[in-house]
Amino acid sequence: MLDAFSSFLGSSGIAALINNMMSAASSGKNFLEIIGTPLMIAIACLLLYLAIVKKFEPLLLLPIAFGVLLTNLPMFQNSSAILMHTEFFTDPQYMIDGHLDMQRIFAEGGLLDLLYLGVKLGIYPPLIFLGIGIMTDFGPLIANPKSILLGAAAQFGVFITFLGALAMGALIPSIGFGVNEAASTGIIGGADGPTAIYVTKTLAPALLPAIAIAAYSYMALIPVIQPPIMKLMTTKEERSIVMEQLRPVSRTERILFPIIVTIVVALIVPDAVALVGMLMLGNLIKESGVADRLAKTAQNGLMNTITIFLGLTVGATAKAETFLTPATLGIVLLGLIAFCFSTAGGLLLGKIMCKLTGGKVNPLIGSAGVSAVPMAARVSQQVGQKENPSNFLLMHAMGPNVAGVIGSAVAAGVFLAMFA
Amino acid sequence: MTIAEALSEGLQVTVVGLAIVFGVLIILMLVLMAFKTIFYKEPEKAAEALPNAESIALPAAKAEPEAKPADDGELIAVLTAAVAASLSTSTYHLNIKSYRRVGNEAPVWNQAGLEDVINSTY
Repeated sequence: MLDAFSSFLGSSGIAALINNMMSAASSGKNFLEIIGTPLMIAIACLLLYLAIVKKFEPLLLLPIAFGVLLTNLPMFQNSSAILMHTEFFTDPQYMIDGHLDMQRIFAEGGLLDLLYLGVKLGIYPPLIFLGIGIMTDFGPLIANPKSILLGAAAQFGVFITFLGALAMGALIPSIGFGVNEAASTGIIGGADGPTAIYVTKTLAPALLPAIAIAAYSYMALIPVIQPPIMKLMTTKEERSIVMEQLRPVSRTERILFPIIVTIVVALIVPDAVALVGMLMLGNLIKESGVADRLAKTAQNGLMNTITIFLGLTVGATAKAETFLTPATLGIVLLGLIAFCFSTAGGLLLGKIMCKLTGGKVNPLIGSAGVSAVPMAARVSQQVGQKENPSNFLLMHAMGPNVAGVIGSAVAAGVFLAMFA
Repeated sequence: MTIAEALSEGLQVTVVGLAIVFGVLIILMLVLMAFKTIFYKEPEKAAEALPNAESIALPAAKAEPEAKPADDGELIAVLTAAVAASLSTSTYHLNIKSYRRVGNEAPVWNQAGLEDVINSTY
């Protein structure tokens, strides 16, 4: 009986933890690698705290944080209990000619490996976009076509950050930023989680957890990040501009819009079609009004299911050895820069449009061009209302806001076309 | 990659990338502007018709005039939305110029009946 007990103890997590730390210490790895497992568990708990107590995008951060926890539990090497083998997806040793070794993944993969296929094969982000499409109202955009340009200007931060990441990679070679990593980091500035994941899983899969966590955390922090920049870049008079009411939009226009966008985007940036196409399909399902049942499923059951799978598996890629690197710190820093420059880009064009139209456009709606829907638009509304309590900018800001979704998906398509 | 190389490559990508993003969205903007000319008619008729509708909708009882010029944007927004909903039109066509509280002169039995219906429905 004692034998059975000791062999059980020998296969336990405690034994694995001690064994792994000892072997890391004896093989002369650095301090971070030795305490990697407990440190990652602490980070997972911190993220859980942010999700549950601070309510940072809890729908995504909660599964992400738990994925981080699950993947970093102490296990013996080659244990059948391991849920996630990130090496199957990133390490060329485990691949066949640079492609996934599906046989191995199906035979040896754990639960999270199998679910992660949905990320790796680019299935989840477009399906999330399907649900987002159903929840999106393009009416304010159709009523005010010029506001679509603000959605383009807010992609400024994406490219500035791309430049910044390249420079950082050149200055600090150990961080390992090439064009692929720089593009994945830059896309954080699009403020669009699924888009960032879609680009990163192709260009720089090892950075996926850091980029997803940075993107979703900064999205939750938009009400903190944006207002100071908005106040800095606009005058009191500009902030209190009241905009003309939007014209009503007919059903025909609402139905034609998603179809035309899909065709136009496909003609110019085919790589963006997976995202934009699904977004527009979702919107068409809603606006057509003939497929209510599909709309209900796609925006509730389907989207929630995918959100759980996506969050959990993205979190699960955050293994200590890939996450506890200088690159993660770089991404956290550059991600913040990306958000700031995207906000500034939108505001800048907002100011130009304000001047050109003789003060008819409130530049505050420019910052809503970052695509975090509807958070960024709500921030425009709140900042505007502080100057003029009877000013309702929300619907005006929704135009650039939904345009930002299209804009960041196009920017993603550009990166994929250039570097994938 | 030296910093100069990195920056020059990055700048090329930035210029091309921003140009494409703006290009796609400018095309969409032109499409939407075409939408406006094709599908949208200025609501001349509606603007004329609806003030009448408004005065038809409200004339019922005697007024207790209430002059509150100041801060009632919210109330006006609610009233506009309510009128728009009952006329099944867009708030775009409505412009509330004034409002007043109307005394309730309905017989008490009518009121009781109305309350009954409301309570049983919702």
